[in-house]
Amino acid sequence: MIDYKPKDIAGKLALGFLKNPLTLVLGISLLLLGFISLQVMPREEDPQIAISGGAVIVPMPGATPKEIENVIVNPLERRIREIKGVDHVYGVAMHNVGIVNVVYKIGERREDANLKLYDKVMQNMDQLPKGVMQPLVKPFDIDIDIPILTFAFYPLKGRKADYEKLFPLARDMQQRINAVENVAKTTLKGAHKPQFNVEVDLNKLTAYNLSLGQIMNAIKSIAVDVPDVKGRTKDAKLLVFGVKNAIEDVDDVKNIIVAQYMGSPIYLRDVAKVERGIDFQNFKRAYVAFKEKKGSALSPLKEQITLTVSKLAGTNAVFVAEDVLKVMEEYKDRLAKYGFGYILTRNYGHRADEAVNELVHHLIITIIIIAVMLVFALGFKESIIVTFTVPAILAITLFIAYISGQTINRITLFAFLLSLGLLVDAAIIVIENIHRHLHSHDSDDKSMEEILVEATDEIGAPTNIATLAIIMTMIPMLFVGGMMGSFMKPIPLNVPVALVASLVVAYIFTPYLSLKLLKKPKHKHHRSREK
Amino acid sequence: MKKFENFVYAILDSKSNKTLVILLTLVALAASIMMLPTKVVKAKMLPGKSDNTFSVYIDTPTGSSKEETYAVGKCVIEHLKNEPEILDMEMYAGMGIPLDYAGLVKGAGMKNSENVAEIAVNLTDKHSRDETSYMMVSRLRPVIKKACEPIVKGTTVKFIEQPAGPPTLASIVVEVTGHNLKKIRELAFEVANILSNTKTLVDVDVMADEIYKKFELIPDKEKIARSGLSVEQVNNIIYLAFEGMAVAHKNSANEPDQIEIFEILDPSTKRFNELSMDALKEKLNSLNLMNRKGMMVPISEVVRIEKVDSKPTIMHKDLHRMINVTAETDQESQVYPLLEAREKMIDYFSKKGYKVEKMPGMSTYMFDLNLIDPASGEKYLLRWDGEMKVTLDTFRDLGGAFIGALVLIFLLLVIYYKSYTLSAIVLAGSFLSIIGVIVGHWVADLVTRDTFFLTATSLIGFIALMGISSRNSLLLIDFAKSLMEAHGMEKRRAIAVSSATRAKPIMLTAVAIILGSALLASDPIFGGLGVALISGTVAAVFVSLIFVPVLMDNAKAMDIDDENPIHHDKKNISVTK
Repeated sequence: MIDYKPKDIAGKLALGFLKNPLTLVLGISLLLLGFISLQVMPREEDPQIAISGGAVIVPMPGATPKEIENVIVNPLERRIREIKGVDHVYGVAMHNVGIVNVVYKIGERREDANLKLYDKVMQNMDQLPKGVMQPLVKPFDIDIDIPILTFAFYPLKGRKADYEKLFPLARDMQQRINAVENVAKTTLKGAHKPQFNVEVDLNKLTAYNLSLGQIMNAIKSIAVDVPDVKGRTKDAKLLVFGVKNAIEDVDDVKNIIVAQYMGSPIYLRDVAKVERGIDFQNFKRAYVAFKEKKGSALSPLKEQITLTVSKLAGTNAVFVAEDVLKVMEEYKDRLAKYGFGYILTRNYGHRADEAVNELVHHLIITIIIIAVMLVFALGFKESIIVTFTVPAILAITLFIAYISGQTINRITLFAFLLSLGLLVDAAIIVIENIHRHLHSHDSDDKSMEEILVEATDEIGAPTNIATLAIIMTMIPMLFVGGMMGSFMKPIPLNVPVALVASLVVAYIFTPYLSLKLLKKPKHKHHRSREK
Repeated sequence: MKKFENFVYAILDSKSNKTLVILLTLVALAASIMMLPTKVVKAKMLPGKSDNTFSVYIDTPTGSSKEETYAVGKCVIEHLKNEPEILDMEMYAGMGIPLDYAGLVKGAGMKNSENVAEIAVNLTDKHSRDETSYMMVSRLRPVIKKACEPIVKGTTVKFIEQPAGPPTLASIVVEVTGHNLKKIRELAFEVANILSNTKTLVDVDVMADEIYKKFELIPDKEKIARSGLSVEQVNNIIYLAFEGMAVAHKNSANEPDQIEIFEILDPSTKRFNELSMDALKEKLNSLNLMNRKGMMVPISEVVRIEKVDSKPTIMHKDLHRMINVTAETDQESQVYPLLEAREKMIDYFSKKGYKVEKMPGMSTYMFDLNLIDPASGEKYLLRWDGEMKVTLDTFRDLGGAFIGALVLIFLLLVIYYKSYTLSAIVLAGSFLSIIGVIVGHWVADLVTRDTFFLTATSLIGFIALMGISSRNSLLLIDFAKSLMEAHGMEKRRAIAVSSATRAKPIMLTAVAIILGSALLASDPIFGGLGVALISGTVAAVFVSLIFVPVLMDNAKAMDIDDENPIHHDKKNISVTK
């Protein structure tokens, strides 16, 4: 029988759930929800910072930096200033090209920002000076620009490495990897395309009295693609025929007739070295040196191709990385056939997983430490009760974070670690008061239930106010601006949730579990306890 | 418990004891706050983070060839070769490494020229490594810079560590802003010079193209017209000869991309004998153009060659011309070298005859300097950006958040207690945890090998502490009041009893926070938060159990207010004694 009429929400919650059979179900389902959230929430190492921005690139061949500044960068900057929400405008006037980089204020929605920039450039297309080429608007997209995985294809020792074969294979792998779920962007760095190189000998040119332009025209005139031609027969059928591209392989290029000299033809091979090679005019090259295992010597620096893989925003880096690694494994033999192997040179999936697991590990250790401390301070059963509340609170917080679209990252977990010390407070205060009431001299006159509700209710008001005070300290942090504010956002987002959860859990489960686990001590002769 | 109750009572009962407590507290507060300006405890936005990777950026002067850049890169790799903790290195010549957090704002993705290279260095796992990545960088930097930078004169080799928090362009960025391009260039190099002579600043770089000698071919319009050629033809052939051009392409079913037919002069025949005007003239002499009549005209006939300075890229920020000077700090907060360099700059530029003006007022631009050239009246602005700006912005915002938190708590307490005095006592009590926070950082700095900085996370910890310690005071006041109201206990005794009774839960929650933060303290980034929570909580316990009771005793608001009691139903208060 409970005669006590609770005044505070604390007592009301305690009373409502104390004898309710569903309380246990609620507790178990909370823990389950938390565990599921922990498993399925996208994991990242660092939280996503919403930086919006983009670059407007306007090429103007042959212009000097000062010319570019006057006719491209200055007017463009003025126009971009008209956009609301722009934080900084950076202009770069180089030879042949003007670039204006736009950085929006943190928190500006990316889609809106991109649209506004594109819109502004398009609106002013008519004001572009003569002689410029089509402006390019390239928005930043951090999520898909930062690869989570990079692989380096290196030549195997003692094998003949066929770089020309590597490129088509790498392209093929790129296509396959891009098909993996949630993979966003893949690129090849340091890759060299095959090309027919025509290296003209200047001396021979002079000897044959030829100019470079003639050779260019000769090649141009023969390398043409023509669509199929449809002819009609008398009985109204279609007769389709096409002209085959005259250049099939490198020999066709060699045999291009450049000019006639004294009646005999001069072939391209006579004045130039023609071969199928790589695009050597591309100065971008990548190299790799690595160790087979820790302690062994570093391999000599070799040329390589890097394949980068990034993921879609808000997806789980760990899962994407695992899937991609599986695909890569399938290609191992084919790569080896051409004389290549690959090493993983970046794996953010693994790093995110490691960071998250390490912190979860820390959380568990901390909970155990606190539990042991409570055994000494309050007693074994009391300690178990308080320790149970921690996973329950974290589970609620994780679940709310999950459904509100957050990812689990270093900062989220730090928010948990930070709140851990605060979370147990409510439960400690309740259990301590229950403990005190149970051992007080008037406990014999009251039923167990009544004592529990009363003890919970008594500290309700100050605990609510105190917790509210801590929440209030966190709220202003939501308004910290800039990158740092964005970076730390998980703290003010999650700590208040955890604190509210800690109150609710303390008021519901602490009395409930106390009823199941604790017993009223038998007082003899109303002896007061001195502590 | 009785002992503690008597101890508190003894303090409250004697006026001199009370004064002593207040005095000691104030002295402790003043002493700890003094630790900040005297640099006993140093402030920084975020400390270094040990990572499994770092990168090296190589910038040879504008106009250097890819071979020269490669040679510098090769040198760096040779020097890193024997590091046992390095697992692999990737050099990307002519471009940036695959984009990472650090490269995001450093423009790594935009790099596209022969004079740049980046090297990604992957290390063994940080848990199985003794040396942190930032210690390693700090050790290797001077050695490698000394060995590899002289290979190509004017080269800068920079070591880039992964940022612990949000990425910035560099730790220290000075934007030299002005209208006169020549002048801001000159100022930028002077600023760079001052920065390089400041202790703990490394990797100083002026982000401007070097000016190098180049040759300009000036087409002789009349000659071109009279020989039956066109200027366009001249331009195209020169480009075709030396840079090459894809003159045609071929689609193929068996190739993933189009195959281009690329025409260029044979490398052996297009190579110049030396870097001189004569060599260029000689080569152009043998390069012929065909005119409309089919006659050959050597290019050298229709152009004039001049030696000129290259024109450097012009940079703008927010519509002003500027040049960035960047520097990194070597295991030091950027605040102190910045202030030192700023003093030097004021001295240096004043001596050079500039009128140097400081930015008036308090803002996140307060360290900026205005330079006025008295001769021309032109104005230049030296603006500090980079991590310093982010730090100031963050500390300003966190400071604002802190004041916001204070106001919110105060209002909450006023609503609850309906008394300004009591609310002020609670606030004062919670503010004093700053003593613990600063002293805690000082102790942490003493026991750790690196400098332990007071960081933005320490501030977050402090803000959170405000809430925690106000809870302590709150429970204390609440309990004492109910003792007086329900049991008619005398004020002093009630305060002492409540202090002694609440000591246990206060200690318990404090221990929980300390243990909960213990693992946090070992983290490089959130160490500040951990230390702030641990040491701040210790201070808060002392403050709430000894200092707050003294204030309570002095407060009139603690007296029983029969008309407005907190607990309306006196029977419901149970007190254990």
